[in-house]
Amino acid sequence: MSPRPLVGPRLQRVLALVPWVLAHPGATVAELAARFEVSEPELERDLALLPLCGLPPYTADRLIDVTMIDGEVEIRLAEYFERPLRLTPAEGVALLAAGRALLSVPGSDAAGPLATALDTLEQALDAKGRITVDVGSPGQLERLQQAALDHERLELDYYSFARDEMTTRVVDPWRVFHAFGSWYVAAWCHRAGAERLFRVDRVRGVRATGERFDPAEHADHNDPEALDAVYRPRPDDPRVTLRLAPEAGWVVESFPHERAKARRDGSWEVVLAVSEAAWLERLLLTLGPAATVTAPASARRLAADAAARVLARYEQ
Amino acid sequence: MVDRLERLVNLTATLLDTRRPLSLEELADRVEPRYPDDLAARRRQFERDKETLRELGVPISVETLDGFGAEQGYRIKPSDYYLPALDLDDAELAALHVAVTAVRFEGGAGLDALAKLGGRAGEGAATALAELAVEPLVPALFDAVRKRASLTFDHRGSERHIDPYGVVLRYGHWYVVGHDRDRNAPRAFRVDRIEGAPVAGRPGAFDPPHDVDAGAMVRERLTYGDDRRVDARVLVDATRAALVVDELGDDAVVTRHDDGAVEVVLRVVNPEAFRGWVLDLLEHAEVLEPPELRADLVAWLTALVSA
Repeated sequence: MSPRPLVGPRLQRVLALVPWVLAHPGATVAELAARFEVSEPELERDLALLPLCGLPPYTADRLIDVTMIDGEVEIRLAEYFERPLRLTPAEGVALLAAGRALLSVPGSDAAGPLATALDTLEQALDAKGRITVDVGSPGQLERLQQAALDHERLELDYYSFARDEMTTRVVDPWRVFHAFGSWYVAAWCHRAGAERLFRVDRVRGVRATGERFDPAEHADHNDPEALDAVYRPRPDDPRVTLRLAPEAGWVVESFPHERAKARRDGSWEVVLAVSEAAWLERLLLTLGPAATVTAPASARRLAADAAARVLARYEQ
Repeated sequence: MVDRLERLVNLTATLLDTRRPLSLEELADRVEPRYPDDLAARRRQFERDKETLRELGVPISVETLDGFGAEQGYRIKPSDYYLPALDLDDAELAALHVAVTAVRFEGGAGLDALAKLGGRAGEGAATALAELAVEPLVPALFDAVRKRASLTFDHRGSERHIDPYGVVLRYGHWYVVGHDRDRNAPRAFRVDRIEGAPVAGRPGAFDPPHDVDAGAMVRERLTYGDDRRVDARVLVDATRAALVVDELGDDAVVTRHDDGAVEVVLRVVNPEAFRGWVLDLLEHAEVLEPPELRADLVAWLTALVSA
């Protein structure tokens, strides 16, 4: 016996299905099942329910009439369901934002069916121009998208934010995607000998190598779920212990940490894995007096030294 | 299970079909399969059904049946229930199908919306192109924008009253933009910094200007709600110039030096956020103007050096 489906999703489907069949008499069971993403037997169960439904006093002339001839479905006596249920605010946001986002990606057709569908929807929802999605289009985005499609091996000039330095490396880019507000290219980095995510806005230069790569070689690495792979602490990354004032508590929520302890006065002691010093320097400069390095001893002067380096610019 | 589904369909049909609100007693007399005879059980069962329908977005209105407010009646106003006629063709539905499969939100609300519009046409997208941030307050804010209802909420420790003009997703953060009634000025607010639930006033409370560009309001960094605004000039050396110009846009550049360094102008509404932005550039940037922001940064760094 299959598990009992929840009543909510099934009701939702019925309320969407009936108006569609009323507007498209003769739709086939196969077509309806595909449209509403259910199996055909499941759809037939939905249709079998309808003749039990209708308006009081549930006499034959008040019950929904379903006929099925050669797999073609017709529904009558359900005028009150002639239009689908309006969208909830969450559905409206999801649909419009997804559409607007896709439309803002370079290469999309600003006058095509997506654009006209969104205009129609916004008009109907009284929301013309009320949702803006800006995913950005960094300079090298299209070049990298094309390279991923063509399996083209590239040489990149890449600004490493964590180390605060420019690097050059050869990569096999296999996928370009947008997440956490930025564009990323997932690639095999020949310099690191490992899969790496690169932020597209930090790719400063792209050169062709004239080579192509075989995507099958990287099939194991191409993990669409690896969106959180921007920084994964490695076991041998140095650990740094920080004392944070209460107002710097957001650090605990924002970065992967080994250990965090809240103290009674609202301050925190947190142990972070730090692969690159420049990253920690920036954090400490921004936090200022709200953060102190307590261990290791070698890192205690990090903030002061970085501050002195920046300050030197102002003292010339 | 089937009984309950059947009753939910019948309840929806009956509430949609009636021209006057029906009391629970009237509903219990009519709708099949029957509600329990026991009054407490009947009420419980009806409340559960009502809740299930509301979760799906079925708008049940509750109206008083007599002059004393003692008895309540229920109905669904067709104008609240029906999706306006959209007449999207299959190419448009297929394009929306690609959009909600290529650009993903947690929770699948996009696919639910698509089902109401006529289901999935075409193939959709095989892999996600983008994963967008979900912020639980955004649907309610969007609803207020649509209905032109004023909003009250707490933001970074102060109560704000705005006429919302739009919602904007930029660089992974949602903003609500509008007219700040207390400051009598346009403002944008990061949604994740709104504390508690926003309260919306009555619909139709204001008319948004016709030429609102919500995206531009966020781009111009009117985002913190401070009142003092000042333009800061920052020198960025050649090694980081291109990154900064990409971020701020060409319009921000006021001078290009021969060695590749650039001077950019930023509109600063939040000195703290500005300091963080400059310090992220480490020794590759220097605040030139105004003197008070330069002095502020020097003092901050000096304190760190001597700490």
